[in-house]
Amino acid sequence: MSEIERVTDEPCAPRVVFIGLASCFGCQINITNIEKHLLQVLGQIELGYWQLTSSEPMPDAFDVAVIEGAVTTEEAAETVRRARERAGCVIAIGACAATGGIPGMAAPDITGCAAAVYGDAVPEACGVLRAPAPVSALVDVDFTVSCCPVDPFEFVRVLDAALYGSNRLAPTSVLCGQCAQGEGGCLYKRGQMCLGLVTRSGCGAKCPTLGRACNGCAGLSPDANVGAARAFAASRGHDPARFDEALRMFNTVALVAAGEGE
Amino acid sequence: MLYRVIDRADVPSLVAAFMERYEVVAPVRRGEKYVFEAVSDFDEIALDYPTTIASPKKYFLPATETLFAFDARENAVTDYVDEVRPRVLFGVHACDINGIMNLNSVFNDPRYPDPYYRAHEDATLIVGVSCTPTDTCFCHLMDSEEARPGYDLFLNAIGDRYLVSIGSVTAANILESACDVREATDADRAAFRAATRARQRAFNPAIPDVQEIPMLMDAFHEDAFWDELGGRCLSCNACASVCPTCYCFDIRDTLDPGAETGRRERVWDACTSPQFAMVAGGHNFRATPAARVRHRMYHKLNGFLATHDRSLCVGCGRCAAACKVDISPIAVLEFFERKGADDGE
Ligand code: SF4
Ligand code: SF4
Ligand code: SF4
Ligand code: SF4
Ligand code: SF4
Repeated sequence: MSEIERVTDEPCAPRVVFIGLASCFGCQINITNIEKHLLQVLGQIELGYWQLTSSEPMPDAFDVAVIEGAVTTEEAAETVRRARERAGCVIAIGACAATGGIPGMAAPDITGCAAAVYGDAVPEACGVLRAPAPVSALVDVDFTVSCCPVDPFEFVRVLDAALYGSNRLAPTSVLCGQCAQGEGGCLYKRGQMCLGLVTRSGCGAKCPTLGRACNGCAGLSPDANVGAARAFAASRGHDPARFDEALRMFNTVALVAAGEGE
Repeated sequence: MLYRVIDRADVPSLVAAFMERYEVVAPVRRGEKYVFEAVSDFDEIALDYPTTIASPKKYFLPATETLFAFDARENAVTDYVDEVRPRVLFGVHACDINGIMNLNSVFNDPRYPDPYYRAHEDATLIVGVSCTPTDTCFCHLMDSEEARPGYDLFLNAIGDRYLVSIGSVTAANILESACDVREATDADRAAFRAATRARQRAFNPAIPDVQEIPMLMDAFHEDAFWDELGGRCLSCNACASVCPTCYCFDIRDTLDPGAETGRRERVWDACTSPQFAMVAGGHNFRATPAARVRHRMYHKLNGFLATHDRSLCVGCGRCAAACKVDISPIAVLEFFERKGADDGE
């Protein structure tokens, strides 16, 4: 795994910036939910920029760029490219940044979506709109923290991996195996449709453990077998069209890329 | 082996006697299914359970286990965390006892003995109980329908009594102290034989009894059948999560917030996991689901035999229930069955 390349040998804390793009800021807020550990985490770094805590402008030099949100404008695309040029390490946090997430639902027709909201006068403040995309569609991403919102402790582990290296590998197996470890019984047996069949594991099957179907917020696994999953769901009485519709909540961009968008 | 008879009505006091000194883990009902769980009262136990979602492996090889704590600043181990607790697994079926025997032979291999596993094993008593096969049970085809060694007590149900096989002195003493223990009579022996007959007849006849399975695995190694299975595998690892004999793990370090201290943990891993056979540099020796599924079946039905002289699969049928796309050793047995009967295959 990549470690930060320092420009100087002088011991100084890695400079970290938090960049918010099209998002609800929920992931950034959730990071503050580590509460008593927050100061320990912040003690390891020099916080160069965090809109949530200060309105100082973003500095020019930093080591780690943490990016929340999808890229939905040309301005955001430029921000991401500049961050990549400057940072030794880019971390995408949350479904919006990792998969396009909720904003990604507008990917097949951003113009139509904008028109539906604003009519024919899209305000200038919207910027130059472009089809929503995950950060990785524009630049190389070193680390990803999945889910909507991120698990703050997972964020801390990934930040540590970026700062010090790690022997952890992000899994690409899908959720059902972790779900089976919890022995709660599969929701399909209770007539619910669950996207754990194709969703990257890692969250510990949070939602099925609470009796709620997985929405796929951790993203489609690159090893997902969508065809077999759809067929299984259909065999349990769930219309494939509904399965696909559910999948679009967090994975429209990936489905469009795979030619399964609309 | 020593045998004694107790009344069914004596079992609660047996459990209570264990509870004085041990944590008692037993099958309990959860929703429509059953799971092994710590209990505090005999009434929570469903001793006539069909099977559990996952196996009791988790008490020997926890899904996540801390191996040691470390101080990252000093680069030093600070504590070998010891989470072992004296425990009785109460109500384990024969397949699972055989599964645990398989795990024992792996983790107690004198070349690489595993102290963590061993500590759990040493602290655990096993009380087996006879069962009635479910539709997916095929332990009888995997030579695992009987627990020979591997238990402290085994309760064979014979009507309103149990014929108890006694495997350890510790458990025998607790049995003697808690129950009205009798010598078996001729009637008990006849009832036991009747029970084993009934059980033999209860196995699902649709699961084919195939001979020479390990050789067939080699013979049909290149068959298109594996692509068929791989084509529908979801890469979920549910099969390995519930299996009593999947024992592979990964080791990783977890830093505490602040990154000054941390823990080295082992976590379950499985050969059905896409990155399982990926090595440094990124090459993946089993890059396709077909290769992975085949590998799992090989280890279960062929590979383990070479070193341990018995099949790793004990026929508990859990993976057949857990896999959403019908991939399990049963599917492999059915494939072999079709091969002989159907020239078109
Ligand atoms: S991933 Fe979810 S919580 Fe995070 S910013 Fe996007 S919408 Fe908000
Ligand atoms: S509830 Fe969802 S995640 Fe769990 S086993 Fe069923 S499909 Fe998989
Ligand atoms: S179960 Fe699914 S929706 Fe819930 S947190 Fe995990 S990946 Fe997200
Ligand atoms: S492979 Fe399947 S049937 Fe065999 S022991 Fe494992 S879970 Fe049971
Ligand atoms: S064989 Fe079945 S249970 Fe196992 S990983 Fe594949 S789909 Fe999941």
